[in-house]
Amino acid sequence: MTTNTQPRAELEAPPVARRRIRLSREMTKTLVVTVVILTIVAVAAGIVSGSTTVLTQALVTGVLTGGIYSLIAMGLTLIYGVLHIINFANGAMVALSLYLTYEVVSIFGVHPYLALVITIPVMMGLGALVQAVLLNPVMRAPIHTQLLITIGLALAIENLLLLVFGPNPLSVQLPGNTGVPVLGATVELSRIYAFIGSLVLVAALWLLLKRTAIGTAIRAVAANPEGARLVGINIKGIYILTFAIGAAAAGAAGTLIAPFSTIQPTAGAIFNLTAFVVVVLGGMGNVPGALVGGLVVGLTEQLGALIFPGQSPLLAVFVVFLIVLFVKPKGVFGRAS
Amino acid sequence: MSTSTESTEAGVTVDEVVIGSLHPESGSSAADGQQMARGAQYAVDAINEAGGIESLGGAKLVLSSADTQGKPEVGQSEATRLIQEGAVALIGTYQSATSANVAAVAERSKVPFVMDISSLDEILDQGYTYSFRLQPNATLMGTQGAEALIAMGEASDEPVEKVAFLYEQGNFGQATLKSFQAAAEEAGVTVDPVISYDAASVSDMTTQVQQVAASGADVLAVAGYYRDSLLVSQAVDTIKPDLDAVFGVANGAYDQPQFVTDAPNGGEGYFDANYHWDVTNDAAVELADKYEAEFGEPIRTGAVLSYDAVMVIAAALEESGTVDTTDLRDAIADSSYEPLVVSNGPVSFDEDGENTNASIVVMQVQDGAIKQVYPDDRAESDFLYPAPVN
Repeated sequence: MTTNTQPRAELEAPPVARRRIRLSREMTKTLVVTVVILTIVAVAAGIVSGSTTVLTQALVTGVLTGGIYSLIAMGLTLIYGVLHIINFANGAMVALSLYLTYEVVSIFGVHPYLALVITIPVMMGLGALVQAVLLNPVMRAPIHTQLLITIGLALAIENLLLLVFGPNPLSVQLPGNTGVPVLGATVELSRIYAFIGSLVLVAALWLLLKRTAIGTAIRAVAANPEGARLVGINIKGIYILTFAIGAAAAGAAGTLIAPFSTIQPTAGAIFNLTAFVVVVLGGMGNVPGALVGGLVVGLTEQLGALIFPGQSPLLAVFVVFLIVLFVKPKGVFGRAS
Repeated sequence: MSTSTESTEAGVTVDEVVIGSLHPESGSSAADGQQMARGAQYAVDAINEAGGIESLGGAKLVLSSADTQGKPEVGQSEATRLIQEGAVALIGTYQSATSANVAAVAERSKVPFVMDISSLDEILDQGYTYSFRLQPNATLMGTQGAEALIAMGEASDEPVEKVAFLYEQGNFGQATLKSFQAAAEEAGVTVDPVISYDAASVSDMTTQVQQVAASGADVLAVAGYYRDSLLVSQAVDTIKPDLDAVFGVANGAYDQPQFVTDAPNGGEGYFDANYHWDVTNDAAVELADKYEAEFGEPIRTGAVLSYDAVMVIAAALEESGTVDTTDLRDAIADSSYEPLVVSNGPVSFDEDGENTNASIVVMQVQDGAIKQVYPDDRAESDFLYPAPVN
């Protein structure tokens, strides 16, 4: 892509500087409020459950599953932020990556995480192809056109997986995967690795967006496609790149969750609803927001299940979701427009 | 497909009789759905190879298979289509919500519907006269499951005193919990804590299993589907609670051949009280062997239940000698077919359409294989209790 240094500096510098100061003040406030609320809820959950071990387990599990939720929501939020497309095929892409991981492990007999070498580029290529062939021609069409394409893509991927791999669930074993003590709770190692992977992915995406020329171009397109075009940015190329990165994130997520997932064509769909909640909570298009959104959902789910035993753990999540939408319609870290 | 009621009334010989088969051949239950469709086809082939329906002049059976995708509304529209295309009876459907819709269509169209799998009691509480169920309903499975567990505990040195019950929050889990709890408490066994979860979205069970560990229960009972019950086994392996047994109640995982591959430690020692094809029945074993040879995977009970469902209809066709759906319905209501699934006797429907001889059997993973272990007359191996799974 051809970039013109002079106008881009004019376009970028002032708003970024101002936004950073305003965001950090707002962010601190929001974070403090979130932590206070979570602490109160945790105390309540501790009292109801009557066991510190159970409470600690809920907190640790909440953080870890929250990390997995954000991992899965990452690609979704990036694609929404730049392309304004809600990628309903995100779950199916995670499922595809699960099968790729399974195949790599069974064919080459390697450590499951080594499959990242295959899943990330393959999914990236697929994402680029999808955007270039299916979505770029309809970027100016009404929004439901793009929605229908991603839904169709999800169905196509799921049914193709069913056709190729059959309906029986598969599994991938992680060597040396045992329970380890964490602050009094016990956690499977594979879930800790997935959590760390989620942090690394957030950091990598954040650095890519904030610290590289490509990232600047992506953000420029997200903020003002016409303006970006005027300064010589290849809009369609950025769209393709963004969808490719989003799909690569789904690919990374699939490999990281493989050791504790039941691998079946609908495996990704399990996370679809939760991932949407995470994206909206974190602020649509906000990558670090997706991490915080994931943690909030993970903790709410775990603590909610302790406080309301016999109720759906998702009940607490949706109550929080509605409250946030009411108080902060743009999400916890959504920018005021 | 040339059958219709008119043709027989006109005295024309019936060449073919269409039976509609409705199962989730795609979607998250496709593994069961595809097996069930194949099981039904096996029954049709067996009847045809033996000369068809004799009382209808050797009429051949034709299976018309539809994919419900596990969705109630798809099941309903497919049932309507199959009936319009001439199906004289339906079997299916695996998901209770889908079966409830199909039962309503069957009643309206006056076409008999034989449920192979669908546990929800309420489906047959509507006063339907055209719907029948082969498998034990959720209440029966919960009750018989509790009775079997307690009996096995009494036969050992460690009788069951306190059971923690983990269940999926839908109709199946709730109904199973209710009946299990009633039967256990009647026998003086405490059921506490009871913990529910959302099978559709849950991705980690460690907190729930930590609650079980903290409660001091000696048995963990689990009423769930495949994926979530597997998550429970992973959490049990992580937390290592001090339990005498993990006991599935109508569990979707602990009696599946796949579980042995997917579970930590091969799922060794896990119990499941569930309907199951009868490994002590030679005809059932023959069917299972044939299936495994052809499709390269072990047969699931669903396939055998679908086989039985078609056989019930075939027997009724033979008995009534007509394809009039009302007469066929009456003949099904008088069934006395000996099923290939574990049963207390021949298929026998009460006025609600429930199979009064439906029964569970307790299975246990032993040396990497699922074995029938209780009651004694169906056991292929002695049960091991207590059976700590850590």
